[in-house]
Amino acid sequence: MQKIINHKVFFSQTPEEVWAYLTRPELVELWLMKTDIQPTEGHQFQFWTRPMPNFDFDGNAYCTVLEVVPFQKLSYSCKGGPGDGRITLDSVVVWTLLKKDNGTELELVHSGFKEVENMLMYNIMNEGWLKNMNKIGELIKAS
Amino acid sequence: MAQPALDAFQVIADPSRRQMLYLLAESSLTINSLAENFDMSRPAVSKHVKILYGAGFISIQDIGRERHCSLKQDGFNALQEWINYFDKFWINKLKKLEHLLNQKNKQ
Repeated sequence: MQKIINHKVFFSQTPEEVWAYLTRPELVELWLMKTDIQPTEGHQFQFWTRPMPNFDFDGNAYCTVLEVVPFQKLSYSCKGGPGDGRITLDSVVVWTLLKKDNGTELELVHSGFKEVENMLMYNIMNEGWLKNMNKIGELIKAS
Repeated sequence: MAQPALDAFQVIADPSRRQMLYLLAESSLTINSLAENFDMSRPAVSKHVKILYGAGFISIQDIGRERHCSLKQDGFNALQEWINYFDKFWINKLKKLEHLLNQKNKQ
């Protein structure tokens, strides 16, 4: 069971070329979402996409650049919600670029989903629900 | 008055309800013994229990005179679906980026 979203992709381009596709709004828009991102620590920006009512998300992600190491690392926080002030998405996206075999290995980690991961971890790691079902079964038999 | 149904995120947004789920992850509890862990009225505890039940996080079973609460998978599955959605989202987007960069190479 996956708790953190983690993907690695290899590109035959240099880290500088891949970096541009992560940090220049007109290039980011081509493959990800419309945005006003800038690779400056503390910069506040947004991603605009279609609303997803099933997931309590109105399509606007409010982000802040956390860390910039040019051509090596970029991270930002992303928050969003249904548009009534509640925040249901509170996460961190980390991009790492590694020069490798005449190209670039790009790694994405999307983590920190507020409380959601903790809850899933608790539920899965304790297997509490299974234990409890057995206990309830015993109680029913005993009553 | 009937409680409006809350979704999985609204359910876990409340610290008391999270605490209830953590306690129930350790062992199943009666509503009375669950209430002993909280500095709130019994009706307030019952209200939270109803919300947890309504969103599929717990099941309630009457055994004798007591109501026993235990964790249920459904509510947690809704949260997992959400994570899975984002996982697929990134897989698709990264494919798109790969395609873009490959085309750039050919130019």
